[in-house]
Amino acid sequence: MEHEERYEDLTALFEAQDDALQSDAFVERVMTPVKKRSRWRTPLLFGAGGIGIGAALSQIGGVWDLVKSRAPELDVTFEAAPAAQINLEMQSIWLVATVVIVVACAAIVATERA
Amino acid sequence: METTDLDLARDAASGQEAAFEALVRRYQGKVRGLTRRLAARPVEADDLAQAAFLTAWRKIGTYRGGSFKAWLCTIAYREFLQARRKQKPEVEFDEGAHVIAFDVSAARMADHMDLDRALKTLPENQRICVVLCVAAGLSHAEAAGATGFPLGTVKSHVNRGVAALRKQLAPGNVA
Repeated sequence: MEHEERYEDLTALFEAQDDALQSDAFVERVMTPVKKRSRWRTPLLFGAGGIGIGAALSQIGGVWDLVKSRAPELDVTFEAAPAAQINLEMQSIWLVATVVIVVACAAIVATERA
Repeated sequence: METTDLDLARDAASGQEAAFEALVRRYQGKVRGLTRRLAARPVEADDLAQAAFLTAWRKIGTYRGGSFKAWLCTIAYREFLQARRKQKPEVEFDEGAHVIAFDVSAARMADHMDLDRALKTLPENQRICVVLCVAAGLSHAEAAGATGFPLGTVKSHVNRGVAALRKQLAPGNVA
């Protein structure tokens, strides 16, 4: 390893200044937002994620019931009854939206301090 | 035995606030000293130091070992650069405020005032290199990594800066 010159005379002066700066008040100043942030962030994200999962599951059930009830007439239904198609598309939009929310929340939690 | 920086950083990355608090206690003097020597005013310097620690908390998962002090001082230096970009160019050192804020005995105050004054006379890049290498204790390579200056430039700035400081602090030259 390359030798680097030491500067003990100056370093001692700087260290004395740094030692004089030790303060509980500063530690508290840093830790207060850290603790506050941790307190609400994770429950909020997990809460939103949970709601997203719940909504997604409920929509999957609705879509499945719709598909089951319309299965025999599905081909004609889409052509003959645009309202049913719109309904199915709305269900799909909800499904996609909730999946996006769940994935986003999971990604935020996972990469929070990465 | 004292817990290592790496262990504390790993615990902090897993969400343990107490581990991060231990790191803040361990390095607050270094980081606050660094920002005070770089920034215009002590109040601003403590804002920078706080911002540096909060950034460190957010990014603690990216610390992969090596010198934690160098990692943290690099964050603090970048916070300083970011703040300076937002500042009006005419803002200069507030000498009185800078000196008063140090909580030291009267006997040592004179030494510190001389050191602060001497430091402020250095050209900015020299001052940055002296602050990082001599005051914060980073190696030349670590300082080069933090500042983006070539290694040879860092060495040259440090050598010239140290020579200038020693000359100014020599008995007979002190005001």
